[in-house]
Amino acid sequence: MKKIIHHIRLYIALFIAKGAIFFLRLSGSGGTSLPGKLALAIYPDILTVLARKYRIIMVTGTNGKTTTSRMIEQILKENRIDYIANKSGANLLSGLTTTLISDVKMNLKSRSHTALLEVDEAAFRLSSKYMHPAVLVVTNFFRDQLDRFGELYATLNAVRDGISRLPDTTLILNADDSLCASLGKEVPNSVIYYGMNKLELPADDTWVESQDASYCLYCKAKYEYLFRSYSHLGHFICPQCGYSRPEALIQVDKILSLSGEFSRAIFYTPSGSFTAQINLPGLYNVYNALAAVSFSEALGFSHEKTIEALSCFESGFGRMESISLGEKSIQVILIKNPTGFNQVLSFLKTVENPAAISFIINDKLADGTDISWLWDVGFEALAEIQDKISRFFVSGIRAEDMAVRLKYAGIFTDHITVEKDYGNMLDDALEHVNSGETLYILPTYTAMLDIRKILKKRFHLKNFWQ
Amino acid sequence: MYQISICHLYPDLLNLYGDHGNIQALRKRMEWRGIDVSVHSVSLGEPFDPEAHDIVFIGGGQDYEQDILLNDLLNQKKEALFHAVEGETVFLCICGGYQLMGRYIKTGSGREMECLGALNHWTISGDKRLIGNLVFSVEGLKQQPDGYIVGFENHSGKTYLGEGVTPLGKVVHGFGNNGEDGYEGARYKNVYCTYSHGSLLPKNPGLADELITLALKRKYPDFVSLQPLNDSLETNARISLIKRFTRK
Repeated sequence: MKKIIHHIRLYIALFIAKGAIFFLRLSGSGGTSLPGKLALAIYPDILTVLARKYRIIMVTGTNGKTTTSRMIEQILKENRIDYIANKSGANLLSGLTTTLISDVKMNLKSRSHTALLEVDEAAFRLSSKYMHPAVLVVTNFFRDQLDRFGELYATLNAVRDGISRLPDTTLILNADDSLCASLGKEVPNSVIYYGMNKLELPADDTWVESQDASYCLYCKAKYEYLFRSYSHLGHFICPQCGYSRPEALIQVDKILSLSGEFSRAIFYTPSGSFTAQINLPGLYNVYNALAAVSFSEALGFSHEKTIEALSCFESGFGRMESISLGEKSIQVILIKNPTGFNQVLSFLKTVENPAAISFIINDKLADGTDISWLWDVGFEALAEIQDKISRFFVSGIRAEDMAVRLKYAGIFTDHITVEKDYGNMLDDALEHVNSGETLYILPTYTAMLDIRKILKKRFHLKNFWQ
Repeated sequence: MYQISICHLYPDLLNLYGDHGNIQALRKRMEWRGIDVSVHSVSLGEPFDPEAHDIVFIGGGQDYEQDILLNDLLNQKKEALFHAVEGETVFLCICGGYQLMGRYIKTGSGREMECLGALNHWTISGDKRLIGNLVFSVEGLKQQPDGYIVGFENHSGKTYLGEGVTPLGKVVHGFGNNGEDGYEGARYKNVYCTYSHGSLLPKNPGLADELITLALKRKYPDFVSLQPLNDSLETNARISLIKRFTRK
């Protein structure tokens, strides 16, 4: 009898969640967490039941989760693998549940056999109670929304704790990140490390970045670096206890070009080397590509398909999206922490045509309520190119703070417009962009959701849950 | 030409909450007035010269990293820092830096970590983190007549003040020192301690100017006052937060 009631609850949970998904899509809101929340409340084990039906590939870490997931998704597509993925950054437990529920039928049969899930680094530990991924990709650990997660080391240890429940999962780890690489030490799992070989990098003088992890995780001595790519990533070695960057199985041996639109690099893998073009700018995306190539290698996919995937994939949810308006264009780039933001500023320095820039800074829970990290971003780099920028706009709940930040970075105050209304800001900003030029909109997470709604209405963007 | 030297203590370890902004605010606000500023980093294994600096800044860090530097602080810099505090050097100590200036920090496991002891306050680890926007009022802040300071706090340690140390201000919104007695920060001679980052000084130019004024008066007895600046962006940022969190 108890078993039957159990079963009935499972079906009720599924039915109500599916109904919620249907109505939310109908209303055009694209809600991705409520259906899962409802299902989990009615039948807390639903995730365990559903997860068993899939080969699960998980991606976590502080930066680059979404982009890496999109690259892996493209690799799955090229290899004609049926999959379901949580596309719209619905990466908490409720979002993962919604994703799987939308794929299973009412008879509990799944449509796909592979689930590609981006998981919030703070939600990962909990998720490991319910789901046992075949492959786990961890991108990196940078300082991120500290007010929500406590501190960086606590985040790292929570991920470590989650991994301890998953001894059969293949781990794909960033060798160049001393924090991420430590996850592969003394675990029974099979581990694939990826990283950059010592190589030449274009000089980047933008900022002396604050270091997230300059001291040895184990003995607290200061790391020495034989090579450094950016922030704390590189070939670290602790002079005291000897903890050092592990040997990487998958490496980038050479970067052939880094432009404002794409990068080209030579990848080394045990099955041979190949050159690939990555259809996104920035050194940080070379790391994301490395993670994706490692995944491809782990599953034994061919180089041709991987090369094809990296060169043709579309950028993910708001990470870097272009909208063409005749001669002008708008580019939206999500920002969320100092390292990511600094990379975006380095990218803006490579842009040749003049442009206008709009910063939209919110301080809701999903953005991080503490905005002091804006002071860890090297906006001073923008002051050097301010003659190329027709105007700086600041908007969002914390517009005034952002204006102060720009002033102290050396931007002329009469080049800064504070405009809290997104519609007005967009009108005004587009007037400051001539044909052939671009308006760069740099929002935090919740600001991106809002600005996207407005852009969607005005310029008919596709619905983001698709 | 006036010359001011700023010492940033342990910038590679205590750099968690945009502390760079406080240095930047001091530097820019002096440069805009034609004052010659130099900023010096002093970290692990490097001597601190109490006669060399007019303003000392010490920020917050992750607990993990505070461990590393306590050793260095007590064995290499204790006497020199005492000398600077008693000699009325201007100090701004934030969050972890505030705690380190006191007598001890008692951790969650009951361990008492000895700190500098330059000020008579102590910190006891609490079981919940005190996180959020912080507004507090300070008496006698000339350049910011309403007296309100805005920032952001994030600490699990609860700090209590002993004799000889006065609170920096009264909490209007947020937790402050311990979430219990309604006080925020500490003052002793020219030492300013607070839990507020955010960054603190760019948004509270009156406080920045008070620190600069104290440093100039100490070094140049004939110095009278700073020339005013256009602070409209800073004031808007400050007022918008006061309105949001106090409905004033």
